Amino acid sequence: MTTSTGTAPSPRALARQRRRASVARFWRQYRSERAGLYGLTALSLCALLALFAPVFVGSDVSSVTEAPGRPMQSPSAEFPLGTDQFGRDLLGLVIWGSRVSLLVGLLAAVLSVAIGTLIGVTAGHFKGWYATVMMRITDWFLVMPTLVLAIALATVMSRSLTTTVVAIGVTTWPTTARLVRAQTLAVETRPYIERAQALGGGHWHIMSRHVLPNVMPLVLAQTTLIISSAILAEATLAFLGLGDPTVVSWGGLLQDAREAGAVSAGDWWYLVPPGIAIAVVALAFTLCGRAVESVLNPRLGVSR
Amino acid sequence: MGTNDQKRSLPHGLRLVALAGAATLTLTAGLATPLDPAPQQARAADDGKKVLTVAVAQSVDSLSPFLAVRLLSTSIHRLMYEYLTNYDPKDNHAIAGLATKWEPSPDKLTWTYTIRSNSTWSDGEQATAEDAAWTFNKMMTDPGAATANGSYVGNFRKVTAPSPTKLVIELKKPQATMAALDVPIVPKHVWEKVSDFSEFNNDKSFPVVGNGPFVLSGYKADSYVRLKANKSFWRGAPKFDELVFRYYKDQDAAVSALRKGEVSFVAGSPSLTPAQAESLKGADDIQVNDAPGRRFYALATNPGAKAKNGEKFGDGHPSLLDQRVRNALFRAVDREAIIDKVFRGHAVEGEGYIPPRFQDYFWKPSASQKLAYDPAEAARLLDQAGYKKNGDGKRVGKDGKPITYRVLCHATDPNDKAVGKYLQEWWGELGIGVQLNCLDNVTDPWLAGKYDLAFDGWSVNPDPDFVLSIHTCGALPATPKDTGATDNFICDKKYDELYARQLTEYDPAKRADIVKQMESRLYDLGYMNVMAYPNAVEAFRTDQIKSITTMPAKAGNIYGQDGYWSWWSAVPADSGGSSDNASSTGVVVGIVAGVVILGGLGAFAAMRRRATAEERE
Repeated sequence: MTTSTGTAPSPRALARQRRRASVARFWRQYRSERAGLYGLTALSLCALLALFAPVFVGSDVSSVTEAPGRPMQSPSAEFPLGTDQFGRDLLGLVIWGSRVSLLVGLLAAVLSVAIGTLIGVTAGHFKGWYATVMMRITDWFLVMPTLVLAIALATVMSRSLTTTVVAIGVTTWPTTARLVRAQTLAVETRPYIERAQALGGGHWHIMSRHVLPNVMPLVLAQTTLIISSAILAEATLAFLGLGDPTVVSWGGLLQDAREAGAVSAGDWWYLVPPGIAIAVVALAFTLCGRAVESVLNPRLGVSR
Repeated sequence: MGTNDQKRSLPHGLRLVALAGAATLTLTAGLATPLDPAPQQARAADDGKKVLTVAVAQSVDSLSPFLAVRLLSTSIHRLMYEYLTNYDPKDNHAIAGLATKWEPSPDKLTWTYTIRSNSTWSDGEQATAEDAAWTFNKMMTDPGAATANGSYVGNFRKVTAPSPTKLVIELKKPQATMAALDVPIVPKHVWEKVSDFSEFNNDKSFPVVGNGPFVLSGYKADSYVRLKANKSFWRGAPKFDELVFRYYKDQDAAVSALRKGEVSFVAGSPSLTPAQAESLKGADDIQVNDAPGRRFYALATNPGAKAKNGEKFGDGHPSLLDQRVRNALFRAVDREAIIDKVFRGHAVEGEGYIPPRFQDYFWKPSASQKLAYDPAEAARLLDQAGYKKNGDGKRVGKDGKPITYRVLCHATDPNDKAVGKYLQEWWGELGIGVQLNCLDNVTDPWLAGKYDLAFDGWSVNPDPDFVLSIHTCGALPATPKDTGATDNFICDKKYDELYARQLTEYDPAKRADIVKQMESRLYDLGYMNVMAYPNAVEAFRTDQIKSITTMPAKAGNIYGQDGYWSWWSAVPADSGGSSDNASSTGVVVGIVAGVVILGGLGAFAAMRRRATAEERE
């Protein structure tokens, strides 16, 4: 398949051209999804803020010994969102916290989708007893309450970011696995797969060259959607006190607020900003995910 | 009391606060439930019983007085059983309990107690000297029964009851704590049926026979502990008919329950946060009691855990065996900042081991002995001890690896986490890494000696013998597999000698002097670095509790007293005043947050509608 003929554009160049065209087509269609654009804008803003947080606020913002204010000050000109229990600037903390929340959300989603894709593709491809076993395992994870499982995992492992990523990643993959398996089954019935097999294509070749590219759009959409739930899950775990207490994250801020008694004291500025930040980012990812999904999934496209 | 409307009017605001708090975390919707008031019979049952409900968070370790050591359990035992003696609520001196009189023989080795004849067990039997003798003898002969209070009887030679009103205790050596034997006396006729004291938790059949001001009538682990008033209590029946310790694992939920009148008293665990105290101060019908505490809050270092048989275990960092390192670490702890920022003034700076509230035994280091906050001196000490900085600015241990201490912290105590963050930065400046291990259950790594430093704290009794005894070599576990009474494996010869001396010293002034020497020794050793004496910050509803005794009478605490004074003396208020606007700020906050969120959703919906306008028909 990779033997290059001497004639005009090489297959490699052709493939590149085709990809460029499809990206352009994708973008054109995506642009027509207004909600998706809003989501993308919000996301880009958040990503920029997180990336340039060291410039805006600096890591000093999370220092307790050099906290600039008094504990639990309400919003003022100096501290637009007030201060936390150590007298740290909450605006700075919310911006700084976005780094961890986004990072953990992305990593956990990637891990979850990677596991899901691996199991989905292999189960769809190999069928037989292997598929049965894998799908039963998937079913088992599917019926287990995700949060409870994640809490159990986070409890037994030491408290760190890796733990949180793993706890979320290994508990949220079953839906992806199911979706990918269904798509794999559909792709494998196509005639060109049969042709490839007749020409001597092995399992690895079929899975990596023919099945994977075809399930990729689905995986992409699924990743975007899972990120939002991963961010929520990260915030939940941190809120429940299962995160690393020394790292500033949105969920961790909520947990700090709760422990400091901000809920019953009515110190809303400690609670509302991280909460809204979580909601906005999760919403933005969902909007993007839906938009990508409707662009890539032909069936959704027709119905609209 | 207990009108329904106040229950109904407030939850709404609360739910909104919860909404703002969890801030639209859809995933955590379940979390709102602890804040969501479950419909419960609060304090006034239909039959007009006066119920005093106390919100607690600490789990009961055991309801057997032979096993329990936690504050809640021992407080409950105070209520269930009479001790030989009690402490005066005004000034902590020993007063009559089950014993009306006690006197030593001239050689101070034989003590004779006169047992009162007007105390009866709740099943009608007379409480006699025989019960007391049996209790002590059991603890002396059965190691399972000596788990919690064994330190009191270690020096007893023989305990007899020549007559129902006379108890005679013979000692091996003089013992100073004979008027402060904090041992619950249990009814012999009930307890002699128990076969294994190390297993029996006294929580199977109710009511539990007792002779204290209250009788234990129900218990469900982590749910409630219910006690009924003992109407025939010799000192007089309590004014409330029932006392219920109800569990609120979430402190905010407990405070909300107090605001609504669902509970009458909140002690917090270990105390209310400054923000909570601040907001409750402004609330109607609620009184905040901010009293000097009887606890100390310390940073314990692992001295290399070992058992009595000499076997070493655990994996404490070897550098901590050097006193200079321990002192250096403590010198880098700015205690003033902790008081000011973490406790926000609701604590007193730590000095010696025993809180200043117990004036007789309070000791503070002289200016030259004091390990004052001095990071430069700390760095110098570490250099001197041979722990120099490497190229990255990290101090390296003898094994050549950068030093990182594992600090064991209670995940349930916000103060631990907050102070931990400060430690991380202070010690980070010194070039020492800190890994904060916040666990729900610190007991396992603690008993296994698998930590470097740990947050530690004990409530101190008017007689300091117990809190001093937990640092003696004698308290170490017999083998690494056993559990000893030791706090953190301290074993120091000089300290032990002083401990033995104070125990045999009958002259209060001389004894206090020895105790102070012990504190001084403990301070220098640096295994037990007291950072603060936290105040007891607690709150109760004045429309449910008219009056309640604090201990000591002036600026004293209510929860966890040395005695049953608070709950026994509590007088119910006549009628429940309403508390309509108790959480008006909460409601306002909730509404604002709700509007913001709804506004956002509305905008989103509008956006969606516009986006799909072309496709709609």
